[in-house]
Order: sequence, then structure tokens, then C-alpha cells
Amino acid sequence: MADTKIAVYICSDCGIGETLDIEALQNVASKEYKIEIVKTAPFLCSEEGAGIINDDINNEGVNKIVIAACSPRVHTDIFDYDTLKYVTERVNLREQIVWTQGAGKSTEAEEAPEALSVAGSEAETPAAADAETAASEAPATPPEMPADAEAASAVNENTQEMAEDHLRMGIVRAQKSEPPEPFIEPINRTIMVVGGGKAGLASALESAKAGYDVVLLEKEAELGGWTRKMHKLLPDKAPFQATQAADVINGLIEAAESSDKIRIMKSAAIESIEGQPGQYKATINSNGASETLDIGAVILSIGWKPYDANKLGHLGYGKFKNVVTNVEMEQMASDSNGQVARPSDGKQAKRVAFLQCAGQRDPEHLPYCSSVCCLTSLKQALYVTDSDPNASAFIIYKDMRTPGLYENFYQAAQDNPGVMLTKGEVIDITEDESGNVLLEVDNTILGEKVMIEADMLVLATGMVTNMLPAAKDSVTDLTPDYVGDWRETTTQDGVIREVIAEPVVLNLKYRQGPEMPHLKYGFPDSHFICFPYETRRTGIYAAGAVRQPMTAMQAATDGTGAALKAIQCLELTAQGMAVHPRAGDQTFPEINFASCTQCRRCTVECPFGVLDEDEKGTPKTNTSRCRRCGTCMGACPQRIISFKNYSVDMIASMMKAIKVPEVDEKPRIIALVCENDAYPALDMAGFNHENISPFYRIIPLRCLGGTNLVWIADALSAGVEGFLLIGCVYGDDYQCHFIKGSEMANERLGKVQETLSRLMLESERIEQVQLAINEWDKLPGIMDEFAEKLKGFGPNPFKGF
Amino acid sequence: MADEPVEEKTESSATADEAGAAVEETASVAESESSPEATGGEESTATESAAEIADDDEGVIATGMEADAKAPVDVRPAKTIKPDVRFVREVMSAGGADLKKCYQCATCSVVCNVTPDDTPFPRKEMQWAQWGLKDKLMGNPDIWLCHQCSDCVAQCPRGAKPGNVMQAIAKITINRFSKPGFLAKGVGNPAILLIMTAIPVIILALVIGIFGHYSPARGAIADGEVVKGTEIIYSNFISIHAVDATFTIAFIFAIVVFGIGVSGYWKLLSETVRSAGAPLKGSGLSQLGSVLGEIMTHKRFGKCDETKDRKVSHLLIFYAFLGLFITTALCVLGEYIVHQHSPYGWMNPVPVKWVGSISAAAGLIGIGWIIVNRIKHAARIGIGAYFDWLLISVVAMVIVTGAGSWGLRVANIGALAYPIYFVHLSSVLFLFIYAPFSKMAHMVYRTTAMVFAKAAGRDTPM
Repeated sequence: MADTKIAVYICSDCGIGETLDIEALQNVASKEYKIEIVKTAPFLCSEEGAGIINDDINNEGVNKIVIAACSPRVHTDIFDYDTLKYVTERVNLREQIVWTQGAGKSTEAEEAPEALSVAGSEAETPAAADAETAASEAPATPPEMPADAEAASAVNENTQEMAEDHLRMGIVRAQKSEPPEPFIEPINRTIMVVGGGKAGLASALESAKAGYDVVLLEKEAELGGWTRKMHKLLPDKAPFQATQAADVINGLIEAAESSDKIRIMKSAAIESIEGQPGQYKATINSNGASETLDIGAVILSIGWKPYDANKLGHLGYGKFKNVVTNVEMEQMASDSNGQVARPSDGKQAKRVAFLQCAGQRDPEHLPYCSSVCCLTSLKQALYVTDSDPNASAFIIYKDMRTPGLYENFYQAAQDNPGVMLTKGEVIDITEDESGNVLLEVDNTILGEKVMIEADMLVLATGMVTNMLPAAKDSVTDLTPDYVGDWRETTTQDGVIREVIAEPVVLNLKYRQGPEMPHLKYGFPDSHFICFPYETRRTGIYAAGAVRQPMTAMQAATDGTGAALKAIQCLELTAQGMAVHPRAGDQTFPEINFASCTQCRRCTVECPFGVLDEDEKGTPKTNTSRCRRCGTCMGACPQRIISFKNYSVDMIASMMKAIKVPEVDEKPRIIALVCENDAYPALDMAGFNHENISPFYRIIPLRCLGGTNLVWIADALSAGVEGFLLIGCVYGDDYQCHFIKGSEMANERLGKVQETLSRLMLESERIEQVQLAINEWDKLPGIMDEFAEKLKGFGPNPFKGF
Repeated sequence: MADEPVEEKTESSATADEAGAAVEETASVAESESSPEATGGEESTATESAAEIADDDEGVIATGMEADAKAPVDVRPAKTIKPDVRFVREVMSAGGADLKKCYQCATCSVVCNVTPDDTPFPRKEMQWAQWGLKDKLMGNPDIWLCHQCSDCVAQCPRGAKPGNVMQAIAKITINRFSKPGFLAKGVGNPAILLIMTAIPVIILALVIGIFGHYSPARGAIADGEVVKGTEIIYSNFISIHAVDATFTIAFIFAIVVFGIGVSGYWKLLSETVRSAGAPLKGSGLSQLGSVLGEIMTHKRFGKCDETKDRKVSHLLIFYAFLGLFITTALCVLGEYIVHQHSPYGWMNPVPVKWVGSISAAAGLIGIGWIIVNRIKHAARIGIGAYFDWLLISVVAMVIVTGAGSWGLRVANIGALAYPIYFVHLSSVLFLFIYAPFSKMAHMVYRTTAMVFAKAAGRDTPM
């Protein structure tokens, strides 16, 4: 930006004016940083307050606005300046300083319980949004003037220093920030849907309805997936009581086939996908002919496969002819129009036993619940009872699980006299000479160990994601992240064991691997609660049973959701904006290649596979794949990856702006705080007037994954006592918005020990804590404890150097 | 991920506790089926017994599915059960229409105040009924330990009405043991109520037709015309001897049917217990006294919560019947031994009149109370089945027409008195001949089951 003009605006209300020495704060800006426009106003968020800032923007040419007032999470509608023209920096004096320093309680206490109830009850960002609303109402009721003005003006020195340091950091941050120049390239808006089952059809039809061109791939010769092969379907409409005819899928197939927006490619396979959102090149082989298409986004709805029943010999499968799986039962019912004859002798099956959780919720097989098999068995039990009034179905379950409104279906099926249910453990399965299956069942609710004689036994086997190829579908024995074989190579550093990732469906030409990294049990989703449909490959969204076992009805909902995600991705990418969770962010990582050493840390650590590399190992950016978390920035030992408003140098400069006094009683502790969960949690602690030590200097990061070790080394040698990294939970049940960020930060901290020992410092001076957003009430304790621990180590010997 | 707990529909914490004990008092099907009378012909073509299956090594495969360490391992051989969907339907149509709704939460057994603590009812009966386990239910005295308080009906979260299911099974038990079966079927079938009513009416009409509808010598009625100013004397309308003979035959018929039924029932109950390896303590007769004591005081009724005052109303009816029985006995004594003929006066040294009248009054109050309560509780526990209302109606009819016959005689309204007397006699005959097949039979079967339960050591300490 040619002319940089910074202005600082300090709000004196919501307790700020009573708690802090505003004049001293103004002096920090005007004297230390020589900023000409430094203004204080009561209620900057009021019409007059906002007017002051707008006037200066319009009349004085201010283009970097530092607002020292409330949390950047509130009043975003008021302090909303064009990000492409202006840099806006919010210094959080209110929530994180004034309200956490034992001040303002008398004036703000009445709103605290509200904030508490909102903040404490939910665990995700909506709660934060609610809290924002609650907080944004604060200025509407002007706080009462303190009764004793003298007492109120007694400013706590430590609090004042905290505020001044935060103002310094804010000014530095604004100085080092520039408005972004978005990455905008022409994009193709075609959505490729992979898999033409219930989810895929829903995705294709919804995308087409929204006006997008669709390419629908189906590996089989017909659309419809599993649904087309069913005898009857579970209900998908109120009152969710009776099964419906399987031909309802035909309507969807016809709609897709007659849509001029949807191009259907049957008997298709993906040979390769290259590029990035909006600019994919997908090479498709359909009926033997290969073709390369321009694709904008991909929806992966390849569905599920049944668990391999051959592994269930202990349940009689493969040993006794009349033991079949639920998928086979469905096929038999479909073939015979419901008159199921048992395999051994073709006799009508009038007594059919169903064994639930066959090879499921079992650490040896599928450790999870597929959530649909109880419904499937109830449905198939009705085939049995409908075929003959004297036929009965015996369902032996661990727990009858029929989520949501399918409770109604369960009740309706249970009301059928021929459907007989008992909880129980099957301890033995045998066969008599006439081919009947005998089940010995213990711990039944019939009150005793019983022997049940059945014409046929149906094993309710579970669902395995099609992300796993048939040969490697053992979900308990997966290679990390990708499907493949282990390879051991001997290097000078010893034997390195790594997975040679093999393509399954997508054939991505990504540096990190040909498919999406899988989570537990092979499912590709990035986070099953917070971000459904999202995957770790931007532009590719998962829908249906490929990402989680589900019914056809859920798969249809999923297909719609994933279509919306794909559309969002296309439209944001077209504007050079990031997708979830930093939706709308127009910055992106820029690499100063001149200094790149081809160390490949960034390409390895990027959770989203953004960076490919050329033959030499130089990273090749695919900006539209990027989620802007900054993990690459944190990884880079050369510090050459920067965003326009977020860089290693910027944070390092902010840390340098902190005044480190030489007196021992005033330790300085830097808290690197994740913007997504920990920062709002800290705000909530503020809403609730929890006390936080004034010696903390809080620096928000896009993700802890952006933590660069150089900051730690620099700050410690400048006399800072310690670092507390507060980020999301990581591991199997991670909550990190960027999947691997907090885990990466932790990995890096392991390496910082070396640096610390070189500096002759205790390694415990750096600590990372995992915090969920609803754990705001634990924050003061965590922070106090860490401060106490640092006290035990004594002052940083570098203080004063 | 996918193994996040989904809603759990059916959990039964009581399963483990009950599993062991229930075996002791339930039948081995293989054994109970050895009695052809006890089971239908079709069922008796049983396959091998459970013990044989379990001991048979051939075809047995190791499953590796050892019972959970937490659950008690039942080392006894599994018993083959014979789920029967037809029996499920039978119970449903006999009044247990909602039995399939049960999801085994055991609220019923928890709220029941009359069940023994050990393997309590009606929860297990609900599950057995859902599976159509006829033999288990038939050989189970608990069916009769239930006193239809309807506490469970009111508290059941799924509206499965366990009490009604218990009663439906009781009805089926009566049908099964009270012979001839066609009468049992007829009594239970509302569609042929008219035909069933016609039988006692025709019998009485025949008796009147054959044994002289009136005695001209005593000149009460001439050719069907009521002679005005003449005192009404019912024995002029139909000879007391003819009435007594008819009712004695009916009474003996009922006793015989009951006798056969009860002995069959007792046999099944005994077999059930024997096959479970828990022989009876004592003969049963030794328990009769204590059971009768309990019946006299209606102790169990007193434990009901939902239908608290049912104890009193039922007790009134019970003693009304007892009183009327005594009255009848005294009349027979008077008629045939001391030759003092009816009608008896109030001042008679033998207080026949008093006993009869007080009993009738008690009966009137009792039956009225029962009807009012049924209607009052309908919203909460249901109005009741045909089986109930048939008995209630007949009892009401007997008492009302009985009292009416007296009142009309005293008021000397002959045009009404004789028809009402006829209706009275018909309803009494209805009650008598159908007693073993209607809900009336509960007095015999319940007593039998209570005696048996005591002898088997299955009883609630009151």
C-alpha cells in the first residue's frame, strides 16, 4: 500500500475507562509509535463513535484502523471495513483485560449470567456467536457510574501494563499487515458426483436444480446403487411406520437421466484428478473410452460395501447353508418377491432368526455400530411375516438401535405379532440334520438360556466404507492415513517404514497421496460433528455411507448437504476466498522461493495437501486447495511463507513489542491462543469475569499449527518467562478446525527442547494445553497454574540482556 | 465416529438377575409336552429335548462368543423354546391387544404390589407372550397371583397394558381347562352372546312348560292372566322343586367341570415345577386354609394403588355371594328337611330373610360400585374386556332381578313380578352353567393357583 496511515481509537466504556489509564494508553500510541490520530471516545460502537472512525477514513485517509475496545468477535457489523482497502486491528481490552482483571464487576455483573448460560451450554461456534450477541448488547445499557470516582480511578499497574502491551502488539500487527490481493482465476463450475446411489443422485439433482452442470459417474451399468437392489425400502416420510416400494428410486434415476444439466457416465472409473477447486482436470474412463473433463468440485458418494461375512465363520456363515447375511437376505427377498426360500432345500423360511451386530461392535471385526442393521432386520422380519401369517422372525440383539424417527418404524414392526425380539448373547450356533439352525442364546430377556430353532439365520452384518478396497477392508488393521502396503527403506538415519499409498477411487495427483486421508475405520470425513461433508481435500466433499454408515434417507440428506458445500466452494473460490472454516478470507500463503531449501516440511505438514512439489522438491502451490490455517508458515524453518496479514515476522515483531521489565515480580508469559476455540473461550471467561493473571500477553493464531519455533527462541532470549499454547483437542477425536494443526504444534514443541537446553532453560517453560470451547471455566485455573509453575523456575536468566 | 452411542432402545437391567431364577419355575418344554392333554396335538410333535441338543457334540462349533464376564454364566443346558405366533394372536384377541408394545422396561414389575420379589410378574409374562411361549404361560401360577389392580396398566410407558395381558392369559387358561371347549369358546365370544343367553332361557322355559307353569289349585294365574287382588306367590308360577332340581343339576355340572378343570390345571402346574427340579412342599391341601384366609380378607386387593376401593367393592360382592349361598342352603334345609316353606318372614327365628336381604343389598352396592369405578377409571386403565363385562352384567342382573322379584312381589305388581322372576332365574342359571367358562371361574382357578404357589414356595409375604 502506497500511503499507510494508522489511526488508533480507544473506547472508554464498558468499564475500560474506569479500569485503565486512558491517557497513558493514548501516549503509547502517540509517543512510542508516533501515531498522529489517536482518539478516545465513549462507546465506539455507538453511531457517534463509529462516525469518528468513518470520518477519519474519509477525510484523513486512514487505512489502518486499530480499535482498542471489545473483542474482535463482537460488533463485527459495526467495525466492518472493506478488507481489500483497509487493515482493521482490534485490541481486545474489554473481554480479555478489563473483565479478567477483577474490575468492572459492579457495572457488568448483571449481564454475566446470561453470557454464562449461553457460553457454557454449547460446545461449538454457534455458542460463540450467541455469546457475541449477548455481549454486543452490553453498550445498550450504559454502565452506572461508580459511586466513588476516586476509588475507580485507582488503576492497577499490572492491568495497565497488560493493556499497553496489547495495544503495542495491535499497532505492530497493523503496521505489518497489508490488505490482501485475492487469488482470482477463472474457474469451471461443473460438479462431478462420484457414485450414483441415493446420495449421489441427491447431490446431482440438487446441484442441477441450483443451476450447476453435473457429471455423474457410476461404476456399474445402472444408476441407483444399493437402493435399486432392495426388495423394499425403509420409510423416509412421516409417520415412518411402513416400508415403501423399492421403485421410488426409479423416479430419481429418471429425473437424473432426463436432466439436461446432468451428464451421466456409467461403467465409469476415474483415471486421474489433477488440479485444484475450480480447476480440476478429471480423466474418466467410461465404457472403455477415456475422456478428460474440466471439473470445479467433486462429491464423493461411493457408498459402502457389506462386511466380509467369510470372516464370520464362528457364526456359522460358510459352514451352514441356511446362514446368510442381511444383504443376501435382501437379494433373496427381492428375487422371490418376498417369499423367501431357504438355501439348503428351498423350503419356505417360516422361522427366520436375525442375529444383530454380527461382526459389529466387536473389536475383532467392525468395532463400530453401523446404525442401520437393526432397521434392516426389522424390515426383513416384516418380509417374513408378510409372506405367511404363521411365519415368525426372531431378532436377537445387543441393543435395538433405531435412531431418530425410526423409533416409529421399530414400534410398528414390534407391534407385528410375528416379529419377536429379545436381547441376548448367542453362545452357540449349530445345525440339525434337517438343516435347521439352532441358536443357543444366553442372558435373554426371556429369563433364561434358550435354544431357538430356526429355518434360517440372517446375520446383520455391517457397512464398510468403499474408501477401503475389498482386499484391504479390515478396518481394525488400517495403515495410517492412506490405504497401501508398508515399505521399509534403510537410510543413514535407520530403517524408515512408510506406507506406499495406493489409489482406490479418486486417483488424485496430489503430492500427499492419491486418495483422501482416512480417519478411524477408513472413513474420509474431516470432522463428523462440526463439519459434515468436509474432507481434508478442499473441493472434494463426501456424502452418504462412504463417510459414515447411514440409511438411504440420511444419504439423500447428505447428498444435498455435500452439494451445498461444493457450491459454496466454487463460489468462494471464484472470488479468491477461503472455504470453511475461514470462509471469506482473501489472504493466502505466499512463498518467497528465493530462500526455499526444498526441505519439504510444508508439503508434508499441510493438512489439506495444498502443496505439490516439483522434481527438485520445491513446493508448488495450489492456492484454491488452501484453507489458510498457516500450518505451512509454522512449519517453515526459513520463515519464507507469509500471508498479507499474518507472518512469522509479524508475530515475532508483536512479541518484541512486549515490554519485559527487569523486575522479577513482573513476569511476562506469552499465550498463543487458537482463534477458533481457545480465543472465544477466553472471551467467555471475560464475560464471566473470571480472573486471569495480568502477566499474560495473548496472541491469537489462526491455528496453533502456525506456531513457528523461532518465536519461542526469540521471545525466551528476550526474557519472556514462558509460553502457553492453548489449542484444540487433537488425536482420534480431534476438534482442531484444521485437523492436524494443534497436533503439529505439539510435535514441534517436542523439538524445541533442544533449543531450550541450548539456552539452559527448563523445557517446562513451554506448555501446550488442549481446550474445548466449552471449557472456558477451566482457563483461569490452567493459566494460573502455569504462571505458578513458571514462578517456581525463577526468573528467565535472559531478562535484561 | 460411527461407534458413537446411538439411542439405546431396549435395555434390561433386570435380565441378569432374573435369568437364573426364572429357570427354576419355568417348564422344560420337552417334559411338559409329554402330557398330550396339556398341549395341543401339534405342539406335542416336539423335536428333541434341549438337553439332548446341548449334549450332542455333532455339529457343535466353537463360537468364541463366551458370555460376558459380567453376566452370570448359566451352565445349565438351554431349553428349546417354541415361539408360536398363533398363540400371540390368541392372547391379543383375548384382551391383550397391546402386548406387542412392551419393550421390557420392567416398570410393571416395579409398580406391582402383589408380585413376589423373585422373578416378578408381569414383565416376564409380557416377554413370553410376545414370543408366544404358550407352555411357559400356561404352567405359570403367577397368572393368577395377579389381581388386576391395573397399577401396571396405568404406569406402563408404552401402553402395553400388562394387567390386561395377564387376564387374557387367565382367560385362555380357563378356556383350555374347562371342558367342553365349545362352551368355553361360546362364553368368550361376544358374537354369540344371544345364543349363549338363549340356552338357559330355553332350559327354564322347558322346565316351566313341562312341570306346570302354575298350579290352578292355588289359583294365582289363570291361562296367563294375572288374577287381580291375588297375592303373588312365585312357587305358584313354577314349582320350587322343579327350580331346585334344575339348579341342582346346573350346580353339579359346574362342580364337575370345575373339578376336571382344576385337576388338569394342577397337574400341569405340578409338572412344570417338577421338571424345573423344585418339587412341591406339602400336598397343597395344607395351604388351602391360609389361602382361604387371605381370600376372606382380600389382603391382596388391599395392595392395589390404582383401584384402591376395589377391595371393598369386590369384598361386598364376595360376601353377598357367600350370604346368598347360605340363604339358599337354609331354604333348601327349610323346604326339604324342616318343611317350612317360603316365603320366609322377617320375624322368622332363622334369619333367612335377613341374611338374604342384607346379602342382596351388599351385592347391589358392590356391583354398582364396580361398574361406577370401571367407568371412572376407564381413561387411565381402560374400561375392561368383554370377559369382565359379561360377568359384571350377569352378576348385576342376578342381584337386580332378585331384589326386583322381591320388591314387585311385595308391591304386588304381578304383571312385572313374574317376568322379572323369570329373568332372575334365567340369569342365575346363566351364571351357574357358565361359571366354569366365564370370568366367574377365576374364583376356582385363582384359588387353585394361590394354593399351588404357596405349596411351591412362591408367594409374597403379605
